Amino acid sequence: MMKLAIGLAAAMLPLAAAAEPESYTIDPYHTVPYFEVDHLGFATMRGRFDRATGKLTIDHAAKTGSIDITIPTATVNTGDTDRGSRPRTRDEHLKNADFFNVSEFPTITYKSTKVVFKGDNPATVEGNMTLLGVTKPVTLTVERWKCGPDIRTQGKRYQCGGNATGSFKRSEFGMKYGLPTAIGDEVKLWMSFYGFKD
Amino acid sequence: MMQDLLAYPAVQAGVAPFVAALVVVLLLQRARLAGLAVPAAFFTTYAMVEGLSLTPLTVTHKLALLAALAPVAGVLADFAFRPTRVGVVALALAAAAGALWMVWPVLQQKAPSEAWLLGASALVSVAALVAVFEGSLRGAAVRAGAAGLALGLGVGAAAIIGASAKYGSLGLSLGAASGAFLLPQMIMGRGIPGGTTYTLPIALTAGLVTAGAMVIAEVPWYAALALALVPAAACLPIPQRAPIWLQAVIASLYGFAVAAAACWLAWPQRFS
Repeated sequence: MMKLAIGLAAAMLPLAAAAEPESYTIDPYHTVPYFEVDHLGFATMRGRFDRATGKLTIDHAAKTGSIDITIPTATVNTGDTDRGSRPRTRDEHLKNADFFNVSEFPTITYKSTKVVFKGDNPATVEGNMTLLGVTKPVTLTVERWKCGPDIRTQGKRYQCGGNATGSFKRSEFGMKYGLPTAIGDEVKLWMSFYGFKD
Repeated sequence: MMQDLLAYPAVQAGVAPFVAALVVVLLLQRARLAGLAVPAAFFTTYAMVEGLSLTPLTVTHKLALLAALAPVAGVLADFAFRPTRVGVVALALAAAAGALWMVWPVLQQKAPSEAWLLGASALVSVAALVAVFEGSLRGAAVRAGAAGLALGLGVGAAAIIGASAKYGSLGLSLGAASGAFLLPQMIMGRGIPGGTTYTLPIALTAGLVTAGAMVIAEVPWYAALALALVPAAACLPIPQRAPIWLQAVIASLYGFAVAAAACWLAWPQRFS
């Protein structure tokens, strides 16, 4: 009887291992949060943060997961780096007190609270974003998701990647410069992300 | 339509705070509380550009708290205490301590050499502004108003050059307040007593706006120190027998000269 129990337990070990959540480290060079916002009611301005770090976990069997991302605000980039005859560039303005206030708040963080699956893949991520010291819920929609071997390492490294979108009102985080007419309140997010299996 | 008008920067930083301050000056001058024009103007602009929330306790929200305490301390000083040198020093030290409390979380995140430079500049400029306003301009309403006008406009312009329109608006609101304090004096041809109720809020708030624009925008430390010289410039000789309006113009021009020099210094890459 004892041998049978040990045998059963030994046979179930691989299943148990397979059911464990897998942990991934965010690829900072290919995880890029982009944002867009209305400008003067005429055009849409886009920008990005050049870096993001963090962790994600996923348990395909249990259909659960989590994501924890940190974005250095000083990497904000809208491509306007030449002052010309102006005292400051748009990117310098974005880094200061009117917008991302990078000296006081060097990071934006996003921590998931719930990952909802559709079929075998995550479809939406509910979580909290902390921007300018204010934490509010933000939901991301996972538009694309795939896991598999990384061809750049001849399959030695396993990765998951995809795209996610979302939106938030910047006024809710205390970013009020240019409201209500000059710069839109709603900020749309689009991000590519990759995680390498630990 | 009204919302669009109130969103216009010239209204937020100029017209609205000027009107608020002028109403306060006209209503409260007989009660010797005309100095409350400064918080009236500042918080009119603050409410429009930042809202009324004070959480989380950021640099800007701490600035608002200290700006709200200044008129309370000013009224107390005017009505409950006699002005003394010790009192001037105590106010200057308390103002410097307030500035340090405001900027400390940001200084902690900077390299030690930069933190020391910015921290020392903030302390010295705030303490100097309070000391000169309190020590030399408290009883000189025209010079004090002229100094406040030049200082507020200078701080606002320097903050805009330093990449913060929000801090620029807050600075300009102080200029508007001082303009509203000065204009009735020029028209009526007599001084309106401002006392510490005027000098402490204008000096402390302007100093804190400068300190904030230095640590969370890009106003250079040397431009902040130059701005602290504006009230000293307003102490230069003016013809005492000249009409009040002319005295105000001359004292303002002294202040504007120093403020303009500070703004020139604030332009990027002057010394890099």
